[in-house]
Amino acid sequence: MEEYILETNGISKKYGSVMALDHVDLRLQRGEIYGLIGRNGAGKTTLLKILAGLARPTEGSFTIFGESPEKSKTLRDRIGILLETPGLYPNMNAWENMKLKELTLGMNDSAYVRELLEDVGLSIKDKRPVKKYSMGMKQRLGIAMSLVGHPDLLLLDEPINGIDPQGIVEIRDLIGRLSKERNISVIISSHILEEMSKLANRYGILDHGHMIDTFSHQELLRRCRERIELRTSDPVKACMVIEKMGITEFKIMDGSLIQIYERLDGSGDIVLELAKNNIKTLGIEVKNEALEDYYLSLTSERNTGKNQGAK
Amino acid sequence: MINLIKMNLYRMMNATSTKVLAIVSALFGLMQFGILKLIADDPFNIMGSMASEMGFDSVTASTLVSNFLRSSNFLIIVAVFVVLFANAEQKCGFDKNIIGITKHRWLHPLSRFIAAVIGVTALMAITGIIGIGCSALFVNAFTFGSATAFVKTLGLTYLGTVALAGVFFFFTTAFRSAAGGVVPSLVICTGILYMIEQLLDLLVKKVAGSPKLLPTDLFLDAKFLNFNMDSGMTACLILAAVCVGYLVFSVGGSMLLTQKRDVK
Repeated sequence: MEEYILETNGISKKYGSVMALDHVDLRLQRGEIYGLIGRNGAGKTTLLKILAGLARPTEGSFTIFGESPEKSKTLRDRIGILLETPGLYPNMNAWENMKLKELTLGMNDSAYVRELLEDVGLSIKDKRPVKKYSMGMKQRLGIAMSLVGHPDLLLLDEPINGIDPQGIVEIRDLIGRLSKERNISVIISSHILEEMSKLANRYGILDHGHMIDTFSHQELLRRCRERIELRTSDPVKACMVIEKMGITEFKIMDGSLIQIYERLDGSGDIVLELAKNNIKTLGIEVKNEALEDYYLSLTSERNTGKNQGAK
Repeated sequence: MINLIKMNLYRMMNATSTKVLAIVSALFGLMQFGILKLIADDPFNIMGSMASEMGFDSVTASTLVSNFLRSSNFLIIVAVFVVLFANAEQKCGFDKNIIGITKHRWLHPLSRFIAAVIGVTALMAITGIIGIGCSALFVNAFTFGSATAFVKTLGLTYLGTVALAGVFFFFTTAFRSAAGGVVPSLVICTGILYMIEQLLDLLVKKVAGSPKLLPTDLFLDAKFLNFNMDSGMTACLILAAVCVGYLVFSVGGSMLLTQKRDVK
């Protein structure tokens, strides 16, 4: 049986008449990096807030470290949290802010704090108050602060917001390293899906409070694999022609789009064969879909379905 | 709990607002002393016989505690300090880093209030030591007076100030903003609420004749700011009970609200 460090069971959250989360199920294994994907208002922060103990679900339950939230209270200091913008005292410097978190946890280890600040690329010698930091520096400090107390689980909401490209690589490496070396589990939400695809090994897509899909990194690679995208005037007839050519791995995506997963170098032959059968090719290209495209296609499919349902 | 108090004290010591309010308290103590010196000793002979008419023939330690620390002006300093301190964690979002990792959420307001009380005590000490100390040294009319009266006045003043600090703390927690904390706190400190309470008294008297209990008997600000420190033991005990009641309800209310509400 797989060991889940965190498991939610139909978590819902309602703010007035707005359903922010609707029966969300999520499972996180030890050492796993879980990428939470969704547009603004999809419910990512609400879900992380509930898991962080900052909000209560209206419905549903969850376990952390195998315990219910009530029982896991004693284990909560094993969770590192960075939600939305980093919560920092603007008139204090990085060291003093870190010290506050350290004191809360009853720790007194200056070397450890120094190490954490260096890990995220901040200097202990920088005595400027945090209010003079750039957005990226504040974000780095927020990440460092979430790591105080040797957490086993990190909940990071948009941690690379405002960080420069170099910084993003450093933070990505840091999170990856922590997960590998210390077996820390991470739930990370981000809008930068390309970065997410380089870091996470499991994904969950949230849309309007619903978890519409969860998949592993291997599955993502399979779903986003290279293919020919063909648009024709008559996709049904085109499918028959393609089949006659001996191509079996293909599927019709919408009204005019067919995705073909084999003979990627044979697009010329396909166009020729379609023309012979009086089928007009409207467009053909070899595509390698990224997580972003996959996400957009998934949410647009869902929204189209919703709109049609409404009609 | 101890860790949270330590954390709150650390941030209090490092906050600019604490340093500014400590200086304001010191200046307030000096100002009070200056005014007293002008009235009681009348060095420039501007008061004539008014000083003795105003009761400044002798100035005792207990009257100074009552005048310096049990005043609306000093309560404004306390209110500003408590509101800024109580609201800072939420304003900057630091509470998100720590509320989720502690065993019980209610520990946060409790520890914050304990730290705030330590801060209020320090501000009282600064004003008291400077104001009363300078008066003892430089005001000719000063005599220490009765030690019992001094202890009683200081004790009740301290208890009342802490209870009012609890009320200010509650407003800040309930409204989750500095403005939401400062406005009702200033309504109390500046006596606006007392005026409303007096109107209520009149209304009650008109409706019920002369009842044993009037609204002003129940409101902490009216009880505390207008209490006669020369009153007997029963009156003192009633004031102490009102203070403790308000303290329990306001701090308990803050704890309950924090425990029940989601963190924004």
